[in-house]
Amino acid sequence: MNYAVISLLIPLLTALMLLVTRSRNGWWVIGSSTLSLSSAAVALQSVMHGGSQWLNLGDWESPLAIRFHLMPVSALLLVFTALIHLLVSIYAERSRHSQTKRTDFWPLASLLHAGLAALWLSNDLFNWYVTLELLGLVSVALVTISGPKAYGPALRYLLLSLAASLFYLLGVAVLYGRYGVLDLAVLAELTDAGPTTRLALVLMTLGLMLKAACWPLHLWLPPAHASAPTAVSALLSALVVKGPLFILWMLWSRVAPSELAVQAGPLLALAGIMALIFGGWSALRAPYIKTLVAYSTVAQLGYALLALGLLLYWQKPELHVALWLFVLAHGLAKVSMFLAAGEMQGALGSKRVRGLKGATQTMPVAMFAFAVAGGSLIGLPPSGGFLAKWVLLRELLLQPVHWPWAAGVLLGTLISAAYVFRVVTLAFDRANPTRPSYDPDRFAQWLALLPAILVWGMALISRPLIEWLTGVTA
Amino acid sequence: MSGVESVFDFALAGLLLMLAIGALHAPRLYVCVMLFIAFGLVLALTWARLGAPDLALAEAAIGAGLTGVLMLGMLARSPQEVMEVSRRVLSRGNLAVWALSGLVLVMLSQVLWRGVSGLLDGPVLLPDMAAHHQEQTGVDHPVTAVLLNYRAWDTLLELVVLLLALLGVRQVRLSRERFPAPWPLLLAWTRVLVPLTVLVGGYVLWRGAFAPGGAFQAGAVLAAGAVALRLCQVLPPIRWQQLWVRALIVGGLMIFLLVGLVSAGWRGGWLAYPSAWAGTMILLIEVAAALSIATILTLLVVGEDEELWP
Repeated sequence: MNYAVISLLIPLLTALMLLVTRSRNGWWVIGSSTLSLSSAAVALQSVMHGGSQWLNLGDWESPLAIRFHLMPVSALLLVFTALIHLLVSIYAERSRHSQTKRTDFWPLASLLHAGLAALWLSNDLFNWYVTLELLGLVSVALVTISGPKAYGPALRYLLLSLAASLFYLLGVAVLYGRYGVLDLAVLAELTDAGPTTRLALVLMTLGLMLKAACWPLHLWLPPAHASAPTAVSALLSALVVKGPLFILWMLWSRVAPSELAVQAGPLLALAGIMALIFGGWSALRAPYIKTLVAYSTVAQLGYALLALGLLLYWQKPELHVALWLFVLAHGLAKVSMFLAAGEMQGALGSKRVRGLKGATQTMPVAMFAFAVAGGSLIGLPPSGGFLAKWVLLRELLLQPVHWPWAAGVLLGTLISAAYVFRVVTLAFDRANPTRPSYDPDRFAQWLALLPAILVWGMALISRPLIEWLTGVTA
Repeated sequence: MSGVESVFDFALAGLLLMLAIGALHAPRLYVCVMLFIAFGLVLALTWARLGAPDLALAEAAIGAGLTGVLMLGMLARSPQEVMEVSRRVLSRGNLAVWALSGLVLVMLSQVLWRGVSGLLDGPVLLPDMAAHHQEQTGVDHPVTAVLLNYRAWDTLLELVVLLLALLGVRQVRLSRERFPAPWPLLLAWTRVLVPLTVLVGGYVLWRGAFAPGGAFQAGAVLAAGAVALRLCQVLPPIRWQQLWVRALIVGGLMIFLLVGLVSAGWRGGWLAYPSAWAGTMILLIEVAAALSIATILTLLVVGEDEELWP
């Protein structure tokens, strides 16, 4: 447990140190991410052997104190967060397009890391509200560093995020008024299916869905993620939207009484299918490359929402595995896609999808990374995306009554294949390609490829991964 | 409840609603801002009436005072046509829209009422537990015990949130307005008022140990004094580039984390103060936090036009 707390404190202290010294040296953040990653790995190791652990902050007894709960999933997410921060920091330090020299990117990125770690560890409804505020503000600040063009989307993001926080907070207040506790594990034993609980869950779910950009509350996400600097887009898409999703999952799978969960499940699953279809359709028609990748985030969140909805609807613990596999696979693939897209957009000098014409010839490594990550988003075997989809489809295909849901998943897959291939076919059109404005940065392109290779590498450990996740989330 | 008191309460509630509607729908932006400031003051009165003087102080200092200064500054920088634009006052025409929104409002309030009516007989588990452990917390006031001992982690993260608000504003690189020369009456009045804010701020901070008060309120009151001085150009410009400014801003969090780490090394529990030392540690954190909060709020409102790059 101490290692998990250390993994949270390292980025926080680094951020404060960077602010006081006004250092703009990225190596501090790379170093702190490495340290945080290794202590998170130790925490994961100890959870794998010893089971989940509790820490009462301030040594008070259970409902009075805020408790940290180190579950296998939260340990995994700690490692995942630190890993992605490490990759993105190396890229941001190296890349020409990350705007780290003239802004507060480094302390903000460290604070984002600390905020996410605090969210994964927490187990308290009000503490989650504070971490959500933290994530919202840090994301908005990170979006604004790309300059005046981003102020509009950033302001919209800020206002919607504050509105969502108020919804969530009102729900927390109602739950606290009804049951008198904020600790999730204690609350889980008290809840009944009365109108008060119903109201609180509706309010909190609306707030969290708005923050996680779930369909139909997603419209703020594409402009905000597309207008941020490349490194920031990668962090926002891969990590930030997963925070509210985690709380949503904890809330519905732990606190909500099962009769309410069964009622809400189909609605969430339907929103997931709609996200798949409409998010994919918008990605297919997006004129700009980063908007395309951002809409693909909306679509891919649909899979996670679908898995969450169906696991509530049928009370099937196997689907927890699908949900978390989607989160991990999407996070890695999306980092790769955004970094590759940012590199290509910077070097080829056009933000439009059309500007990628002939990119396989001019920037082969970046385009390869884009295509490989895209393959995981489509769910081509043997990638991480395929694993997640396989776990989900196995449940859907077993019984004929579930086939309509499977049809929705397949339709979503078709659309994601369409938008990935839209880019890939254009990149193979080598007659008269767009010439790079300057020499493309090879190292940055290989960095973009690395997470894509990792997500395909998930297939190598698929069996132990699925078995372990099944054991720990059931 | 006596008759006079209930008349006063209803008047407050009615005034709040009217000011809120006015602030949203007044035809000129300047009037909206004025009504919003008045709304903040009435809200502060309402908190005081509800028996929460600490919230009342914070609301008056932040909600009405600092936010008001920010909004007036924003108005001063807006082009004239934005200021003077005669916005659409509540339209009388579209009856169907009114009927529909009325219907939705009734339905929503019915759902809300059904949900909230279950709260009347809610359990009071945590307040009892908090009272039971009060002697071990090092302070005599339950709210301070919750903020800085039982749920100190929330407060620490709130300080990070406040720091992030400042960092977010820094990224936007606002150009600050140039202040006009202060008129003599304002200057004289500020010179009387500011020592009082220091006194009140210090008192509120110290009082937090046994009665409503504490770091956030003290910080807000101190910041209000500093802003008034800066607007009168008595204080020199306050910049992020100055080391002492950055040290003050980060200091609250640093001390908080340091206390947490020391307590972890000492007793093996994160943020678990030994009960003999708890009072001292909490006072230390509160002083550092109040200074941090005051500096952050001051910089948010009157921070100088600053270079982001060193």
